[in-house]
Amino acid sequence: MKSKVAERMMAKMPEDVKIFVDKYADIVVRINQLLKEKNYSQKELAEKLEKSPSEISKWLAGDHNFTLRSIAKLEAELGETILYVPKRIAFQTYSEKTISFTVLKNDHINTNVDFTPVTASCKSENELSNVI
Amino acid sequence: MNTFVVKKWFDEGERCSFYTVLVGENKYSETDRFFMKFEETDNQYNREAHELLRLITYSIGNVYGAIDAFFDRTKNKAQALPPKPKKGIPEIFQMGINFPLRLYCFRISESIVILFNGGIKDQPTDQESKDLSLKFYEAQQLVNRISEAIHDGTMIVDNDSRTLTDFQGNSQIIL
Repeated sequence: MKSKVAERMMAKMPEDVKIFVDKYADIVVRINQLLKEKNYSQKELAEKLEKSPSEISKWLAGDHNFTLRSIAKLEAELGETILYVPKRIAFQTYSEKTISFTVLKNDHINTNVDFTPVTASCKSENELSNVI
Repeated sequence: MNTFVVKKWFDEGERCSFYTVLVGENKYSETDRFFMKFEETDNQYNREAHELLRLITYSIGNVYGAIDAFFDRTKNKAQALPPKPKKGIPEIFQMGINFPLRLYCFRISESIVILFNGGIKDQPTDQESKDLSLKFYEAQQLVNRISEAIHDGTMIVDNDSRTLTDFQGNSQIIL
């Protein structure tokens, strides 16, 4: 069920409004989740970022126009990525066509490690975690 | 206060259903009346109204539900299920520090929210804003009546099916 008024407005909703609100909501939720996970109180975060507790309170309530600077400060303090930016990489093929791939830039993982074959005798969680 | 009907407003999301109220002899619900004020494309706040609608119907309604991150936390503290009569406080969706619109609502749970009316916030507080002061007062009265109805069993909350009904199972609840 949908109100007729809502239906009319949704039909005319500009695409950039959808993109803006969806990203805004994702950022607000992500920041709130990270603060909860890391047990940050508003006071502690305010002290770390040298902001007033009332300003941090507005951040946590989503009552804030995020800037790239404020997100960067939060990422630095929390040690976690809040925004991922897709990277576009072009490859030249044998047919001389150029193909582009969009790659999500995730956190760096060290792949320069020796792998140990998993055997039947390798059962404990510790052993498995060493392998993984 | 006039008799009013609590009825569904939007329930097409996967996480949260939205209800509204139809007051007295009004043809349109309070939430429809709020959005109709800004519906014309040449309205100064048309874009903001669209932003609010998207936040409600998609981010809250379909993706996250009515979680704390989208609500005023200081006002959330007064909430419990069922809310105690006279303690319910209308809440406000916020979209940034300078966001000019306020829409009052009552969060029953993460899966059911009742939307009321609202307006333009052009002063530091809602009570000082000409377009909001009366709406704020009306929303408080509506919350009190709805809270009492939940508390005394006149209104039944079913979070599993995300529905509100009266004690006879009717989906339109007259209070």
